[in-house]
Amino acid sequence: MEFLRDTNIDFMKYRKGFVVISVALLIVSVLAVFVHGKLNMGIDFAGGTQLTLQFQERPEVNDLRSVLEAAGFDDVLIQRFGEATANEVLIKTPQAEGGSEEGSQDAVLGALDKEYNPQASFDLNRSGAEAIGDLLAKLDPEGVTAEGGETAKSYYTGIGQSIVDARQKDGIFTSWDEVKNAKDVSQSVFDALEKNASLGTYSLLAAEHVGPQIGEELRTKGILAVVLSLIGMLLYIWFRFELRFGVGALVAVFHDVMVVLGLYALMDFEFNLTSIAAFLTLVGYSVNDTVVIFDRVRENMRRSRREPLRDILNASINQTLSRTMLTSGTTLLAVGALLLFGGDVLRGFSFVLTVGIVVGTYSSVYVASPFAMLWETLFGSEAKSRRGKTSRSKAA
Amino acid sequence: MNRSLLWRGLLILFIVGILASSAYPLNQKLKLGLDLRGGMHLVLKVLTGDAVRAETETDMDRLRRLLEDQKITGAETKRLSETTFELTGVPASRDATLEDLVDKYLGNWRMTRQDNGVLFEMRDNYESETRRLAVSQAIQTIRNRIDAFGVTEPVIAAQPEKERIVVQLPGVDDPERVKKLIKNTAFLEFRMVDFPKGGGGASSRQEILDNYGGKLPDNVQIMVQEIRNDQTKEVVGQRYYAVDATSTVTGRDLKNARPGTGQFREPVVNFSMTPDGAEKFGKLTGDNVGRFMAIVLDGKVVSAPRINSRISDSGVIEGSFTQEQVQDLVTALRSGALPAGIEYLEERTVGPSLGQDSIDEGLRAGILGGVLVVLTMLIVYKRAGFNAVFALALNVVLVFGSLAYFGATLTLPGIAGIILTIGMAVDANVLVFERIREELHKGRTVRSAIANGFEKARSSIFDANITTLIAALFLFQFGTGPIRGFAVTLSVGILSSIFTALFVSRWLFDLVTSRRGRIEKLSI
Repeated sequence: MEFLRDTNIDFMKYRKGFVVISVALLIVSVLAVFVHGKLNMGIDFAGGTQLTLQFQERPEVNDLRSVLEAAGFDDVLIQRFGEATANEVLIKTPQAEGGSEEGSQDAVLGALDKEYNPQASFDLNRSGAEAIGDLLAKLDPEGVTAEGGETAKSYYTGIGQSIVDARQKDGIFTSWDEVKNAKDVSQSVFDALEKNASLGTYSLLAAEHVGPQIGEELRTKGILAVVLSLIGMLLYIWFRFELRFGVGALVAVFHDVMVVLGLYALMDFEFNLTSIAAFLTLVGYSVNDTVVIFDRVRENMRRSRREPLRDILNASINQTLSRTMLTSGTTLLAVGALLLFGGDVLRGFSFVLTVGIVVGTYSSVYVASPFAMLWETLFGSEAKSRRGKTSRSKAA
Repeated sequence: MNRSLLWRGLLILFIVGILASSAYPLNQKLKLGLDLRGGMHLVLKVLTGDAVRAETETDMDRLRRLLEDQKITGAETKRLSETTFELTGVPASRDATLEDLVDKYLGNWRMTRQDNGVLFEMRDNYESETRRLAVSQAIQTIRNRIDAFGVTEPVIAAQPEKERIVVQLPGVDDPERVKKLIKNTAFLEFRMVDFPKGGGGASSRQEILDNYGGKLPDNVQIMVQEIRNDQTKEVVGQRYYAVDATSTVTGRDLKNARPGTGQFREPVVNFSMTPDGAEKFGKLTGDNVGRFMAIVLDGKVVSAPRINSRISDSGVIEGSFTQEQVQDLVTALRSGALPAGIEYLEERTVGPSLGQDSIDEGLRAGILGGVLVVLTMLIVYKRAGFNAVFALALNVVLVFGSLAYFGATLTLPGIAGIILTIGMAVDANVLVFERIREELHKGRTVRSAIANGFEKARSSIFDANITTLIAALFLFQFGTGPIRGFAVTLSVGILSSIFTALFVSRWLFDLVTSRRGRIEKLSI
């Protein structure tokens, strides 16, 4: 199937209109990031504690919030997480005063426990295999401690592991039946557990805490990674192409990152380390796309030196159009699948890439190229006289 | 088949073979990151100041004893900072003796005379050495404790310049217990109780202060004991003791610690002393029969039994412990005391169910994306599409193979990186195929169209992919954990897609066109 083979669209004719659109998008994005509620900073950069909890029953976000606020936590962010049926909740608390690290996590859990797990006995939904093993060893429902402390302990820890594995199936035990049906749980073990333990209202799926020092380091590293990447790419492109193309590509990249960042902020996705990875990939892809066009330009320039830049740009874009559409298309299919089916944790990441591909393809045509033209107009005559020599010396 | 074709084919087979075999079976050979496998990631800071302070106090003590041996009484030392202390009370006539002692025994200190005493400052290299040692000791201790906990494949690494320790514990499902275990300084001390002389402690600090007339003497310190309910083990009250400010016998003198049962079948810790420790302990208890001795753990009084007779080599610590607490305490005591305090800078725990969900979802998305891409290539490029599909499949094998071969870790962003690679890998193929189509369009023969297509596309492929590689490089440099995983999979994906597009695809085309004579048409 051949398509877009001999197109001859004058892309550059409409460039002014599109540049206006681009600038408008940029302004909206800048406003979105810096004015509208700012970027939703993850604890990677802002520091603080983040807990992922799974409740037996669907929790009311407002109830949770009031419990935590009553305990003294002012700036709590509570979000539903995962599939709607899964009753999972994300709780984020900012850096505690005085930087007492464990303070936040234990304090939050303590406040929740007082409200939701008031009986304070051994919680099967929160304990690890070793802890369950210790409890069983003390209760000794199967009478094995006679064989020796160590063997008894490892025996019961094995049972503890089976219980933990069973719990992992749904993430939490909602009824004692689930415990009874776990592998290796005999009637006596079950009876002992039912009498001496309880099933807490929630289980801890994940806990993260980032102290202020690390938060700052991650911020610095993140910024450095982005800035140095951009410089590296600029240098590479300058080395392989001419400066105006390098700068054009860079402007396109800034445009892409800014516009996607704006949309990201509007969608209220969390901005953390993974986002930095996503944006850097976006940068790479956008430059990738622009380079393909410029490579054609370089080739066409070598062939017909006298032709004006505008015509060469048009020709090059038309020639690479099928490739551009196809590559963007296939990559879009792949990251689109990731966006729709890849789960919550990666959603922000896939969003950046999906939108980024579209914007990146657009910017290669309507930001990078017009900019190169603009550069030529501004530094025109030198560029024209240089072109004769440099297109030879810049031969791939 | 001509020779070049044969050799190239063998080379491809060789590379794929090595990498594929190192990845088989996949679920065993591929290292999964903590975000997929579940587990804990901790960054600890060793508060080396504690260790430095401990050295200062030890040397201060030593100096005092040395002076006493020389019959210089009345000398007093006062610590001014972590690394300095002041000595007063040495008469000028004994200056020479003092200097002699300092020369012989306190070489790590700089001594400067001042108006009212002598100032001692720790030498820089001794200080840095102490700090360095504290970090390596802390690592060793933590390693011991984690070993006792039975984690598979723990990773404990130091960042000595920053005095940090990174701990990774895959598969750990009880983060709160592990954190307490690691942080448990378990610093054991035995201190004689000065007041109240009749056991049981005082009910408030005020009561103690009153006894001393409002101000504690220098050699006495107030310590707290938490009283726990025997059944629930919850803290129900506090007692206060005035104890000696220094301890001569500490956890360092322990030879062993074991869990045991007390006279009411409650969990206790049995301990025994080293020969040195036994001597010191014997002296301490022998000199103080009838008095009460506080057993202090991490600055809190655990119990304060009466010394009924001289004890030298073993004893019991009891304090309303749970079985679990005894176990953890024994582990901590056995593995040695931490030389300094520990602070948690970063902690990430992911439960394995979250990780499993991520793997499942990533796999689903990957397969879906892959299928869509394959269909697209077949529709657009017809039979040449098979070429691209083959290259794509090879790509996936190469990526997983390289990860397994180099022992790299697959993280959740890494899975995203692989999916991204699937989408972008066809790019290189597309560049080549489009060129070939162009050349055919211009009227070239099939073989020369193929050759030209590859040649002209090559520079484009390199330039485009190298820029993404630059991004991946910086991500690797500045990223941590999951981000690094992403950078690695992205880089590997790019390199392998360049390889498959330029080398393998070319080989396939050559294979297809290798029969002699003219080729009329190319399905592309």
